[in-house]
Order: sequence, then C-alpha cells, then structure tokens
Amino acid sequence: MVLLKLYWSFLLIGFGSFGGLSMIPQISNEVLGHGWMTVDQVTDIVAIAEMTPGPLGLNCATFAGMQAAGIPGAIAANLGTLTPSLTLCALAAVCFQRFKDSSVMQRILVGVRPACFGMVLGVLISLSMSNYFLAGSVHIPSVIIGIVDAVLLLKFKVSIPKLLILSALSGLLIFGVLGFA
Amino acid sequence: MSLKEYTVLLGEFFRFGCFTFGGGWSIIAQMQQLYVEKKKTLTSQELLDLTSVAKSLPGVMISNVAMLYGYRVGGLPGGLICVFGMCFPPMLVLIVISFFYQAFRTNYWVMAAMEGMQAAVVPIILGAAVGLAKGSVQYPPCYAIVAICLGLYLFTSVNPIVLVLIGVVSGLIVGTVYAGKEAKKHGAA
Repeated sequence: MVLLKLYWSFLLIGFGSFGGLSMIPQISNEVLGHGWMTVDQVTDIVAIAEMTPGPLGLNCATFAGMQAAGIPGAIAANLGTLTPSLTLCALAAVCFQRFKDSSVMQRILVGVRPACFGMVLGVLISLSMSNYFLAGSVHIPSVIIGIVDAVLLLKFKVSIPKLLILSALSGLLIFGVLGFA
Repeated sequence: MSLKEYTVLLGEFFRFGCFTFGGGWSIIAQMQQLYVEKKKTLTSQELLDLTSVAKSLPGVMISNVAMLYGYRVGGLPGGLICVFGMCFPPMLVLIVISFFYQAFRTNYWVMAAMEGMQAAVVPIILGAAVGLAKGSVQYPPCYAIVAICLGLYLFTSVNPIVLVLIGVVSGLIVGTVYAGKEAKKHGAA
C-alpha cells in the first residue's frame, strides 16, 4: 500500500513540475504530509542530492522511498517521478520524430533553438555566480579549478567523466590536504 | 537496431548517469561531447531541439532527454533503455548513501572532493554552450531571441516553458519571413 502511495505522490510531483529546484516545495509537501521524512531530512536530502550524481527529483524520490519503505520504496518513487518521461515524453518523441521535417516545425525550431541557447547561457551565468562567489567575494581556489577545467575541456578535449574525477582529486588536495577554506 | 547496439546505448547512458553532477545540464554537455563532437551522429541543432522539447515537458529533464534521444535512435525500446540506463546509477548511489547520509553529508573529505567537483560544473556547461552555439542561430534575428531569453531567464523567475513558447512564436514569424525571402531569391535566379 505504501508503495502505491509513494508511486502516486511522486507521479504527481513529476507531472506537476519542470525539474530542478522548482520541485522542492511539492516534494516537501508530499513527503512531510505522508510523514515519510522530517523537515530536517528534507534539508539534508537537498544538500545530498547536489553532492551525488543524478537530478534532484530522482534523488529525492530515492531517498524518500528508502525512508518510507526501503529499496522497493525507492524503486516505486523513482518510477513515479519517471512516469511523465515514460508516457507524455514518449508520446512527444513519437510526434516529434514524425513532424520534425515538416515546414511548420522547421520554422518553429528556428526560434526555439536560440530560445533554448539563451537558457543555457542563463544557467551558465547563474551557476557561475553561485559556484564562484561565496559570501560576497570571489572564491579563488574554485575559480582556479574552474579555469584549469575549462582549458582541459575546450583545448585538450578531456572527457567530462575524467574532468569530474580530476576536479574531485584537486578538491581533495586543495580543500582537504592543504586546508583552503 | 541490433542487440549489440542497444547494449552500447545502455552503456553510454549508464555512464552519463554516473557523471550527471550539477543538475540536468551536464548530461547535455556529455551528449554534446560524445554524439555531436566525437561520434558525429547528432548535430548541435538536433541536440538543441531535443533539449527544448525535454525542457518544455513536465518531469525530470534528463530522463525526458534520454527518452527523446533513445526513441530517435532505437524506437520505444531505445527510449526505455536510455531512461533506465541513466537513472539506475544515481538511484544505486543514493540507496547506499541513505544508510549513512548524515555521516556522508558532514564528512570532511567528501566535502573537499565535492567542492572540487562543483568548480567543474560551470566549465562543463560552458563546453556545452560552445558546442551548441553553432546550431542555435540560423538567421540574424535569432541573436535577439537569444538575448531576450537570456535576460528573462536571469532577471525574472519565468517558467522555462514560457521561453520555449516565445521561441515557438518568434520562430514562426522569423522562419516564415526568411522562407519567403529565400523563395524570392530562388525565384529571381
């Protein structure tokens, strides 16, 4: 029974949101309402979701599911969150493949591509602000890692997984061993 | 698609799933690197198209992207394989961590490694932006659409779907005007 409830709650969360931080109010409503998590746990999971791979919505689903009903709970909650992708988005995929070469769709995409690119630039700028400016000042060690990464990625075409591992190691060295704050 | 191709697809998305840090955009960056740059099986325009569709549907963006890409290359089974391939690693990691999450969250070394990885997120998205820039602007007015959507994204809290809708409307206008111009040019020649 709790598995169905988990599935249903996260299905509602999935359909009612557009990913990322916008999911948090809805997630906390559902998990607090059902008593699956405490307020402190919600705070914890948001922090942990950013530290582990995967999107926030799925990570919250896994965590809430684990708290409520163990591994079957995690699976049920994940399936709930994924239901929009497996239904609505699958339908969109079918339609998009069919109509993407039509002249109307081609015209629409002429405008949608720059809109989407503008969004990517927006994400880039807002993440730069939050990741490199801490408490009102530039966080030098992070900026240095960032610049080195950008050179490795753009100039030397280092793969993203390798880049993340390298950055984690530099973090261990700079913030861990050398103790930069 | 053959069984072997499906297995390769599963492996690729499993790997994406292991390395999606900093929100959904890092998967776009990884797809950009693998499919647009390395394998050349996708153009940057097509990746922008998939991203826009994924972003304007409800649910988790990265699983939407996985479904759209998977369907494109391998039909419905391809879509399912990509979605599950990508979502499995994060779920596994978090199931393990949920047993000792408080110790994990406050661990000195974990925090140090995370701070390093966080510094990599911006360059990764920068890489995606550089790769996608080519495909984004077809006609000069598209620069204005980029600027307007960038401004709206940064200075308002408007839903991404509104930005995509702005793109749809302006695309219909700009696309029709330039299609007319091109038809005239061909007619004259």
